[in-house]
Amino acid sequence: MAVSYKPVLWNRQKKKYDQILWMGIALILGCFAIFEFLLHPTITIETLIIRATAFTAIILLHIILMIGPLCRLDKRFLPLLYNRRHLGVSMFLIALVHAAFCIIQFHALGDTNPIASVFLSNPNYQEISQYPFQTLGFFALIILMLMAVSSHDFWLNNLSPKMWKQLHMSVYIAYALLILHIALGTLQYEKDLFYTILLWSGFLTISGLHLVAGWKTRSQLRAEQNALKQEGYFEVALLEEISEKRAKAVFVDGQNIAIFKYDGKVSAVSNICKHQMGPLGEGKIVDGCITCPWHGYQYYPGNGQSPPPFKEKLATYRVKIIKDKIWINPSPFPEGTAVEPAIINHG
Amino acid sequence: METLVSIILTIAGIYLLLGLLFAILFLFKGITKVDEAAIDSSWGFRLLILPGTICFWPVLLRKWIKGQNKAT
Repeated sequence: MAVSYKPVLWNRQKKKYDQILWMGIALILGCFAIFEFLLHPTITIETLIIRATAFTAIILLHIILMIGPLCRLDKRFLPLLYNRRHLGVSMFLIALVHAAFCIIQFHALGDTNPIASVFLSNPNYQEISQYPFQTLGFFALIILMLMAVSSHDFWLNNLSPKMWKQLHMSVYIAYALLILHIALGTLQYEKDLFYTILLWSGFLTISGLHLVAGWKTRSQLRAEQNALKQEGYFEVALLEEISEKRAKAVFVDGQNIAIFKYDGKVSAVSNICKHQMGPLGEGKIVDGCITCPWHGYQYYPGNGQSPPPFKEKLATYRVKIIKDKIWINPSPFPEGTAVEPAIINHG
Repeated sequence: METLVSIILTIAGIYLLLGLLFAILFLFKGITKVDEAAIDSSWGFRLLILPGTICFWPVLLRKWIKGQNKAT
């Protein structure tokens, strides 16, 4: 039986993280509101809320986008990654307040449906200086909403890790939309250069950090691949090529090898069944055993041994996974030797 | 433009309404058939996944039907 889901798995670190997060949010909101009120004493409370929430949400989004590359560059930033989901959901809630006040203030007083009014009230879609920038913010908010509502582990398990990851990578589309939302919106009316400098320096910081982290990851990957080549490994397949509980057969360095993917692991054994030389790679894993498609002879994927009382044994091979690629060392171990399977890391 | 926006918003509205109806049924009955880790889960957890269920209901419906087929 699996462990039951909880709304939030609180622990001391998470509580501390959230306390600091909400203190930070209150500080940004408060400081911005004070400065805005001092600069524009006639500002209405609605406008103040719209501006303060917009500023806070975009600052939080920048912090969120910086955490990933910072952690790849320096492991000391890892505590920031630990509860990033709460940071993301908090950012979405603040952006939602911003959107709600915008829609109430600018679109709720006419006869048109307020949401339709976001798209229809300004039809200048062909002009850059008067572009209906609110539509860009609307689409960004939809993406952030889909990410926020799918942030619980339940969704990671039920949407599948691949789909969940793809969905959450769309934060970059939301970020691009928001940069345009601000550049074509507030910056067109704002005379103060402060916001322009802040936005573009934020964009350059995010882009720069991603480029540097990407370069570092690539260098590490190359170093790992070169090390594997020197140890006699060959790159033989992509993880996605092999279906769950199925295999891919490869010929490497004169060896006929079947690579099986099962239960988040990958193992490699000889592709030839000991019974009548059936192609094991065309079989599948049944009840935890590789099962020959010809006559159903079975072997454990981790050690190539038939389940007792049977005595058949297959040669086994070392497997490694680097990024999404499977590497095999074609030097066979003696038949029946246990080899640690390579673990599939969905991150 | 007005017609297009109106059609898209109507479709989105129907999708979310169906999602809400599905979510009520799913959170009472279907969730335990789809994910065994949800069997002893609290109502706080079910409330937390309600918005996601309304958004992603076709994925869960497919899993629910698939689970039923496997059981029979």
